[in-house]
Amino acid sequence: MRYNRITPEIAASLSEIVGENFVIYNDPERLEPYSHDEIPEKKYAAMPEAVVRPRTADEISRIMKLANEFRFPVTPRGAGSGLSGGAVPIHGGIVLHCDRMNEILELDKENMMLTVEPGVVANDINEFLKPHGLFYAGYPMSMETCYIGGNVAENAGGGKAVKYGVTGRYVLGLETVMPNGDIVWFGGKLIKDVTGYNMIQLMTGSEGTLGIFSKIVLKLIPLPRYQVDLLCLFKSSQEAINIVPRIITGTGIIPTGIEFMDRTACREACEYLNESIPYQDSGAMVIITVDGASRENVESEYETLGEMCMENGAIEVYVADNVTTSERIWKVRRNIGEAYNVISRRQSGEDIVVPPAAMAQMVEKLSQLAQNFGVMIPCFGHAGDGNLHARIVSDPKWSDEKWHQVLPEILERLYKLTSELGGSISGEHGIGHKRKNYMPMFVSDEYLNILKSIKKSLDPNFILNPGKIFDSL
Amino acid sequence: MDKLLEYKDIWILAQQKEGRLERISFELITRGRELADQRGCRLCAMLFGGDITDDELHRLGRCGLDLAAVCRDERLKDFNVEPYARVMDVVISKYRPEVIIAGATSTGRTLMPYAAIKANTGLTADCTGLAIDPESGGLHQTRPAIGGNIMATIKTPAHRPQMATVRPHSTKPAQPAQKSKMLIEDILPEDQWFTTGVEYLGFESSGDQVSLADSDRVVVVGRGIKKADNLPMIYELADALDAAVGATRDVVDRGWLSYPHQIGLSGITISPKLYIGIGVSGAIQHLAGMQTAETIIAINSDPEAQIFKIADFGIVGDLFEVVPALTQQIRSGGVVD
Amino acid sequence: MNIIVPIKQVPDIRNVRMDEKTGTVIREGVEAIVNPLDLYAIETAIRLAGSCGAKTIALSMGPAKAADALREAVSMGIDEAVLLSDKCFAGSDTWATSYVLSEAVKRIGSYTIIICGERAVDGDTGQVGPGIAAWLDIPVLTYLSKVSINEGSCTVRRLIEDGYESLSCSMPCVLTVVKEIAEPGLPTLRGKKRAKNLDIPTWTAEYLGIKPESVGLKGSPTRVVKIDRPKVSRQCRIEKPRSETKTAAAVKALAEKLRETA
Repeated sequence: MRYNRITPEIAASLSEIVGENFVIYNDPERLEPYSHDEIPEKKYAAMPEAVVRPRTADEISRIMKLANEFRFPVTPRGAGSGLSGGAVPIHGGIVLHCDRMNEILELDKENMMLTVEPGVVANDINEFLKPHGLFYAGYPMSMETCYIGGNVAENAGGGKAVKYGVTGRYVLGLETVMPNGDIVWFGGKLIKDVTGYNMIQLMTGSEGTLGIFSKIVLKLIPLPRYQVDLLCLFKSSQEAINIVPRIITGTGIIPTGIEFMDRTACREACEYLNESIPYQDSGAMVIITVDGASRENVESEYETLGEMCMENGAIEVYVADNVTTSERIWKVRRNIGEAYNVISRRQSGEDIVVPPAAMAQMVEKLSQLAQNFGVMIPCFGHAGDGNLHARIVSDPKWSDEKWHQVLPEILERLYKLTSELGGSISGEHGIGHKRKNYMPMFVSDEYLNILKSIKKSLDPNFILNPGKIFDSL
Repeated sequence: MDKLLEYKDIWILAQQKEGRLERISFELITRGRELADQRGCRLCAMLFGGDITDDELHRLGRCGLDLAAVCRDERLKDFNVEPYARVMDVVISKYRPEVIIAGATSTGRTLMPYAAIKANTGLTADCTGLAIDPESGGLHQTRPAIGGNIMATIKTPAHRPQMATVRPHSTKPAQPAQKSKMLIEDILPEDQWFTTGVEYLGFESSGDQVSLADSDRVVVVGRGIKKADNLPMIYELADALDAAVGATRDVVDRGWLSYPHQIGLSGITISPKLYIGIGVSGAIQHLAGMQTAETIIAINSDPEAQIFKIADFGIVGDLFEVVPALTQQIRSGGVVD
Repeated sequence: MNIIVPIKQVPDIRNVRMDEKTGTVIREGVEAIVNPLDLYAIETAIRLAGSCGAKTIALSMGPAKAADALREAVSMGIDEAVLLSDKCFAGSDTWATSYVLSEAVKRIGSYTIIICGERAVDGDTGQVGPGIAAWLDIPVLTYLSKVSINEGSCTVRRLIEDGYESLSCSMPCVLTVVKEIAEPGLPTLRGKKRAKNLDIPTWTAEYLGIKPESVGLKGSPTRVVKIDRPKVSRQCRIEKPRSETKTAAAVKALAEKLRETA
C-alpha cells in the first residue's frame, strides 16, 4: 500500500478541523514522544509526520474523510502505555491522540452504566465512582495512566480477570468513527442485544484498526468494599502453579485474581526493593486476591484459600487486609519490571497465554529455555487465567549484535512451545506490529484471511492503523 | 486565673555541644525577641551543660538577652532526660517563665515533653509560627499537621508555662549586635538530680561532611537514580554546592542510602534555604518533610511529577544528562563562595 | 515480665485529600491503619520478647474501631492487646493521652520496657512516648536504631543529628524507635486467625480510676484555636529541554538561579 506524505496543505486542513493549537507538524522534538509506546526497544518505534488532537467525533470523522481523500494513514493513540506497538505510526502519516476527549459524560445510576469519552484515565473512572458505591471492573496493571479508549481497543485484561473477566465484558455501547468517516453507534444501554452481528465484540480488541471510539458505555457493578491479598510462598514453581486449579475447581470460591511470580522474578524484585520477605527460601510466590461486599465473607474466603495453600505445601501465607501491607505485597509484583530494567535494557516482554491447566508445564519449559540460551526469563503474570508475562532479559554481558541475533531464535522456540500446549501469542497486550510476524504460528491461513477481509470491507484504503495484526495488503 | 499572672518573661532553652552554643539557640533568640517585644517583657535563656565559659554565654547577651540561668556540671555535659528535666523543673519553679521555647531537635523533642508533664502543662511540637495573641496575651503556636496538609494554631489557655518546640532552620539566627548586659545566674547542682539509670557509652559520628538537619543546602535523591551505583554523581553535585545529601523513602527502602538520610513523614523534616530534588517524584510523604524549604528545585524526567507543583524551578529532563552538566556549570561558574 | 507497645490508629494520610473550598480534611473513604511508625515498635517488641522470654502487650487509646489496629499488631506476633476506650478520652492532647496510657501501663504492672513509634504520622508530635515516661517517672531514650537486652538493662544506639550515641539504661524504661531498627514482619495467616479469636478487653476511665474531667478535650492543657490551609506561593519556572543544546541552556539557567539563592 502506498501512502502520500502530509503536505503543509494537508496540515493546514487538519488545523482547520481541530484548531491550530492541536496539530503538531514539522516539530521533531514534540513529535518524538508519539513515535513509541512503552516498549523500550527502538526498533519498534516510528515517527509520525503529524499529531492531531481532536475534541469531537465530528472532528475525527472529518479527519478520516480527509485521510481517505489524500491517502495518508491515521494511527489512533490513547495514553501510549501499550506493549505491542499498536499506537506506533509504522507507515507514517498522522497520530490521532485522544487526550482531549477526556470527559465522563453521564453516570446512569438506575441502569448502573457510565458513558465516557475515550481519553479518560481508567483509574479516574473508579475514583469518580467510589463515592457512589459503584465500580468499573476492568483493571489493567497500568490503571493509573492508561485511557479507557485504549483499554477497549486492546480488550485489556489485567489482574482481576479471574473473577471479573476482561474489558470486553463491560462494554455495552460504542459510538465509533468508522475508517470512512461514518459515525455509528454499536449497542447502547442494553444488557442483552442480538441485533445482527455482535459488533461490540468485534470492535473491542480490534487494536484501532476497525474504528475509533468516541463514546463508550460501560457496565458498572457494586463496589466491592473489602479486599484481602494473600501472599503465599512455595518451595517450587510447580507447587505454586498446582495450587491454581485446586483453588478454581475445589473451593467454590472465585478469587479476584491469582498472580504468579517465579523464583527469579521474586528474587530480583525483592533484592531491588530491599524487601525482607523471606524470598530466599521460596521457589515461587502467588498472590491471591479476594474481594466482596461483606467483611465476614471476604474473611472466611481468604481463610479457606490460605489454609488450602498451607495444606498443599505453602511455606508461609501472609495476609494483607489494609493499605500498608497490601502495598508491600504488590510492590514486589509491580517492581519486577523495574528490577530487570536495571539489569539490562535488552529485553523482550512476552504475553503468552495457555490453557490454565497447562501453566505448570509452560513454566517448566520456560525455565529450560532460559538455561539453553543463557538468558534470564523471569516469569510472572496472571496465573488464574493462564496468562504469563515471560520477559526475556539479555545476559548483561552480551553485545547488542549477539542479542539481536539470538532473540528471534528464542522467540521462535518460545512460541512453538506455547503453541504445542494449545496456547496463544498474546493474552492481553495485543499483536500490534511487534508480534504480527508470528501470527501464522498460531492461526491458520483461512483464519488470517477472514481477518483481512473484514479489514478490507471496512477500510478499503487501509487508512486506519495499517500494518497492525497483519501486514497491509 | 490569678495564678497565671505569677508567670512572666519569654524563655528559650539554649543548647550547647561540648561547651559551645549551638545554632538553634540563636534561632530561638530571633523567635523569642519578637515574642518578648510583643509581650513587653524580658527575654531569658536556660542552659544546661558541662564546662561553659561566661564569655561563651555572653554571646547570647550580645544578641540582646536579659538573663541566662545556667546549670554547669560535668554530669550535664551530654543530654540525659532525667537530670535535664530536674534542672528545668528547678528553673521553672524559681523563675516561673510565661513561655518556654526550645528547638525541635533530638534533645528538645525529648526533654520538652518529659518536662511539660512534670510541670503539668501543655506543649506544642514542631511549631513554624509563634505569636502573642493581642487579646489574651497568650501564646499562639502554629504548626503543620496531617502531613503538612493543614496548619493548626494552638493555645495553652489555663496552664503555665506555655511550652513549644520550634523547627530548626525555620528562622534566621540572631546576630550579636550589642554589648552584653545579660545577667548570668548559676543554678547550683544538687546530687539527687543526677540519679539516673542511663549511662552514656560513646558517640559515633555519621561521617557525613554536612549534617542534613543543619544544612542550608540539601541535594535529595529519589528513585529516578535507578541504582546505588549512580550515587557518586549526586555526591559530586552536593560537593560542588557544599550541600548535604538526603533521600526519599524509596531510596532508603531499597538500601541505596541509610535511614538518617531519609526526608519525609517517616524520616526527618528539613527546612533548608535550597532544596534540589533529583529524580524525586514528590509523594505527599516526602513533601511533608521539605515543603517549607525556601527555594525548591526539581529535576525529573516525568513532567507530571508532583514535585513540580511546589518547585520554584524545574527541569523536565534526563537526570543523567542534567546533573553532571549542572555540577560542571557550578564548578566553572562559582555558584558557591 | 511485660513489654508494652502503645500504638495509634491513624487515617492513611497518603490518601487524605483537602476540601479546597472549606480547607478541611476529607476523611471519608480514607482507610484507618496502624500508624506506620508504630510497626517498627511492634517488630522491636516481638524480637526483644523472643530474646528474653517476655510477654508483649499492645495498647491503644481510641474508639472501638481501634481494636482493628490492635488485631493487626497481634497478627504480626504481639501476644495480647488492650483497648483503652471511653467517650471522655475523645479530644485528648498529648498530655492527656500519655496520662491515660501511663495509667493503663500501671494497671498491667510488671512492665520492663515500653516501646513506642517515634511519632504518629497524623499528629506528628512525638510527645507521647516521653510523656508516658514522665508520668511513670522512668527514663526515656528516643530515636533508637538498635536495642538489645542484657541482665536487667538495655543497650541502645540513638540516632541524633550528627551521628549515633551509645547508651545503656536500667529497666523499666520507655524507648522510642526509628525505622532503621527493624523491618516489620508481615501478618501471617496463623497470626490473623489468632488475632480474630483473641479477646481484647476494653478499659474505661472508670476502670482505670481516671476522672473524666482530667482527660479528653476538658482535661487537655492545649486547645486548637484554628485550622488553616498552608499557603504555597511559588512561581515555578519549568524548563522542558528536548535537545542537547536546550538542556545546556536549561542547566545554565538553573546555575544562574542557584547563584541568586546562594
